This record gives sequence, C-alpha cells and structure tokens, in this order.
Amino acid sequence: MKKLLFVVGTLALISVTAWLITRELPYEWDLPPDVPAPAVPADNPMNAAKVELGRWLFYDQRLSGNETMSCAGCHIQALAFTDGKPRSIGSTGEIHPRSSMSLVNVAYASRLTWANPLLDRLEDQALTPLLGDNPVEMGLGGSEDRFAELLRSEEHYSRLVTQAFPSDEDPHSLLNGVRAIAAFVRTITSYDSAYDRYMAGDASAMSSAAERGMALFFSERLECFHCHGGFNFTDSTTHANTTVDRVGYHNTGLFNINGNGAYPSDNTGLYDMTGERRDMGRFKAPSLRNIAVTAPYMHDGSVASLGEAIDNYARGGRLLVEGPNAGDGRLSPFKSEFVGGFELSAEERADLVEFLRSLTDDALLTDKRFADPFLN
Amino acid sequence: MKMDRPTSSKQRPDLPRRYLVLLSLASLCTSCDQWDLPVEIPFVATWNGDPISCNSVAPALTDLRFYVSGPQLLDSEGRWHDVRFATEMSWQNDAVALIDLENGEGACVNGTPDVFSDMVGVARAGDYRGLRFTVGVPFSLNHANPLTAGPPLDDSDMHWHWRSGYKFLRAGIRSANDGFWIHVGSTGCEGTVGHVTGCRSPNRIQIELPEFSPGESTVAIDLATLIAGSDLDDEVPGDCSSGPAESSCVAPFGALGINHSTGKQEGTQSVFSVQ
Repeated sequence: MKKLLFVVGTLALISVTAWLITRELPYEWDLPPDVPAPAVPADNPMNAAKVELGRWLFYDQRLSGNETMSCAGCHIQALAFTDGKPRSIGSTGEIHPRSSMSLVNVAYASRLTWANPLLDRLEDQALTPLLGDNPVEMGLGGSEDRFAELLRSEEHYSRLVTQAFPSDEDPHSLLNGVRAIAAFVRTITSYDSAYDRYMAGDASAMSSAAERGMALFFSERLECFHCHGGFNFTDSTTHANTTVDRVGYHNTGLFNINGNGAYPSDNTGLYDMTGERRDMGRFKAPSLRNIAVTAPYMHDGSVASLGEAIDNYARGGRLLVEGPNAGDGRLSPFKSEFVGGFELSAEERADLVEFLRSLTDDALLTDKRFADPFLN
Repeated sequence: MKMDRPTSSKQRPDLPRRYLVLLSLASLCTSCDQWDLPVEIPFVATWNGDPISCNSVAPALTDLRFYVSGPQLLDSEGRWHDVRFATEMSWQNDAVALIDLENGEGACVNGTPDVFSDMVGVARAGDYRGLRFTVGVPFSLNHANPLTAGPPLDDSDMHWHWRSGYKFLRAGIRSANDGFWIHVGSTGCEGTVGHVTGCRSPNRIQIELPEFSPGESTVAIDLATLIAGSDLDDEVPGDCSSGPAESSCVAPFGALGINHSTGKQEGTQSVFSVQ
C-alpha cells in the first residue's frame, strides 16, 4: 500500500511539474492603467518565451538571404525603430520605394504598412520583408527552409521555440518564427513621453511652448488631430476592446504630377492596391509618437524635417516647381478635405514643433527589453 | 481510342423505356469513369519561335514559372473534357501544376535548379485534338495561407505576401544591360489577409489552343511576343508587377489577352502557341 501511495504521489508530482512547465500563463502587458491591451490574434497568444525568441530573431542577420541584414536593419531602436533613411535599402542594395515605418505601438495599428488594406496582422506582414523579391528586402525567399533549420540547429532557439509553442509536435517552422517576431514587435509599446507624463498630471513635463503647440495641434484651425488623433496619434488604431475596424488613408497633397493628381508610379499608395482612381496618393496617417527621431518624413522620405512637413500642411499641399514630379499638390483633385491650409506665425510653428518633440519617449529608445540581444 | 456508345433502344423492344435510359446511363458512366488515358503536356520557352533558356546569350531568359489550372481537352465533337492532374509529383496537386522552365543558371540569378516542364495527368479515354487551360491559381486556393499550403503552392518565389495571393506567372528577359520582367497575379483584392472576399482584377490568363494534339504537340511560350510592346533597348530595365499604375503592364497584358484596366480576359492571347 505504501509503495502504491509512493508511486501515485510521484506520478502526481511529475504531472504537476509538467503542467507548471508547459501551461501558458496569461501574458502581462506592461501598460499604464488607462491604456487598453493590444489585440492579439487567437492563433498566436502571447507568452514570455515567444517574445524572447522573437527578440533574438528580430536581431538575427541570418534571416536574410545573404546573412547581412536583420529586421533591425531598417528598424533601429535608437530611431524609434525606423532607419533614418529617406527610403530603405534592402540586403542586396535594392532601394525600397518607401520609407521604413516606426514599429512603436504597431500592435495598435488596425492596418500595417503605408497603404495596404489587406494587412491587419503582423504575422502576415512580416513575410513581405522576409521573403519578398519586389523589391528584395531581407531576401530570404527561395531559401526560407533555412529559417526552420536555424530554429532546429541552434540549441538556444530550439529550447525557446519549444517553450513558446508547447503544444506543437514540431515547433521549428517559418510560421512559428514569424509568430514569435510578431509577438516581440507587439511588445514595443511607448507611453512614457513628456506628453504622457503631462496628461497623467505632471504639469511640469511639458514646456509652455509645447503646451501652446498642443493647443494648435488639437485646434480646428490646423486640423492635425483629425488624422493623427487618439491615444496613438493616428486614426488607424485598434485594440483588444474595440469592435470598430477603423482605418484612414489620406492624400496630403504631396504630389500633383501633370495636374491630374498623379503620384510617382512606383508610389501611388492605396491606388496600387485597389485600382480605384480616388485612392491615388492615399497613405495611412502614421502614429506621431517619437516623430522627432524618425526623420525624414512621409511615405517616401521626401520631407526632411518637421518644420518642412508643417509648411506643406500650412500651404495646403506641397509645391514642386521642377523635375519629373513637378506640380502643385494644393490643387490635387484627390487631396483630403482636412489639408485645407492654414496661417501660422513663426512662433506658432516653433511651438507646434515643440509639442511634436514632447511625443518622444526617450526611455523606449534604450529600453533593454527591446535591445539587440546579440550585443549583450 | 473511341468512346463506347450506349446501345440503341430499338434492339431491346422487350424492356420498358425507363430501364433502357438507366441502362444507357450506366453504360455511359462505366466508360466515363475510365480515366486511363495518360496526358503529358510539355512546355517550352521560345524567342521568336527559337528555344531560349537561362544560358542563352542576349537575350536570355531570366525567369519563366507559372501555375496551370483547369486543363481540358477537346474531342472531335467539340466537347471539352477535364484532365486530372497526377498528384504524385512535387510540382502538382489536384488543382494546379507549377510549370518551371528556368534552371537557376546563367541569367536566372534568382531561379531554382528544379525544372518542371511537363504537366502530367490523365483524361477519360477519347480522341482529342485541342487544349485549353488557365494560367492562374483558382480563387479558393489563391488566398489561403502559403505557409501551411502543400506543394506546389508552398513556393515563396511564387507568392505575393503583400498582395495576398500567388504570382500566376513570372517571366523575364535580359539583353545586355536591358531587361524586362513581369509578375502577373490578382490585384485589387478586398478584405484582409486570410479573409479575402474578391479581387477587382483577377488577371487569370485563359489559354485555348485548338491545334494541340496530345502526344505530339508542345506548348510554346514566346517571350518575344510577351514583351513585344516593351522597349528592351532603352537601357532601363523595365518591369510590370500587375499594379494599376504601371503603364508598362498594358502591352504585355494585352499580349496575354487581358485588359490591364479591368483585369479580365477581353482579347485573344498570342504568347502561348502550339509547336
């Protein structure tokens, strides 16, 4: 009888230990109390091992075709996960038509990239930079078997992927790899800017210039907030508690080639996806969080500074006097009704820039949770 | 082989008519179910009718891969009959065949060593002359997750993750510093990845070759015809990735019989022919 009890007890102990090891704990988001959790796809629940695996993979150059570039090649933490270039350059030197977008708070983006209404999950989006060949970004397409091989061959990865996907018989796959990268990227959240501290009650967090700039930003005169509104300063925001699928694409009068509203043919925005003329030049309004460290601006990096961006909006559209893309964006037939132009004094312009600077979360730019693990 | 015909009812006056109908149907179906005619359809790349490959010298092939679906053969009475894909080979499943005419050598810098030049299947016994098929992946498969798809729909070179769907055809030519490549797939798709509800421009290419003779003919894809309206000597390697803003797509789409602005088959294609 004692022997039986011992056996049963040992078995129970083993089962409990196994359960403790393999159970999936609810993921703890480190968010301010008034910020909702991001929406997470049901088939890719968050867990700590997955996030850690994703962080390593995000920084692993072996995920590119020629092993020279990781995701971080175009998403540098110190630049709020952009790359500082007008247009990004892929692993083989090919220049992307678009500028790298910030990944900060991308977990809250209702649609991903500058103008792709099809993409609403990071798991799907990650496949384009990894495998796409038009243009080549990381250039793993055709040799993607190496991804699963890397997960299998390196003990560190094999251990993490097994913990991250405990119910998978063989978790070593490209699919799980992109799930892990997506899980890591979802954790890159930012709510500790001067603006956030100001809103939380610390009146000293923002300068009086920034305060005046904030009033301008949220004024009907400037209309900035119509597209850059909400807690994430973009109208394309979603989270775990919303039921509304909200996405906004706007033509900001950046181009008006030949006077018919055309944009350069390699960068027509939503039009490229839908083929509808009215979608010419419509791009997603990016979040303005950390905008001061993500120059140059716009989908093609063609605007060098925040001041220049404000000037284009004040004018009601950009004027390009010469060159192949010449035209007056103010007169574009496709321009958003919110880009009507406004008068702004030099002091007001400086105040508005100051407010935009208050959206930078300095801690995020060096936060160890998001840093390159290969450097430590 | 001639198809068996049901016997005439006049020879069986003692049987009620409805039994005869049933008997005729049964007899018809017995012959119908004999999928015993092997069908092998070879494809070849040409330049103005002459063979071209990755190893050719100016112009050279840089790419030629495409999905074939819905193949049918024409009988002597003008009726079309399905060809079923053989599924034991890696480049086919029961719905599509991946034809890959590049070998990764020479100018095909982004190619693969595998070459799949034949569509292999079976048809019901019959006497056929004439072939038709679609270059494209059926809608029901086109927007499924490529990471969980089996061959030949697991080839990432053939997938457009950002447009959600496969590249039905990818082809390219290089001549010294000039070149042209084209990727054809559905565009203007609505919904979100995993939940695509339809595509404004399907861009599926219908090929009909009445002169095709099974066992004797080869299907030739003529790259010179495909890019006839594109300038190969402007020192600007042009391209077309099926986007609505790409004027460089208008001519090659026309050669494929597709109206670039609607994405529908509106003309007769001239790129695929019988050789």
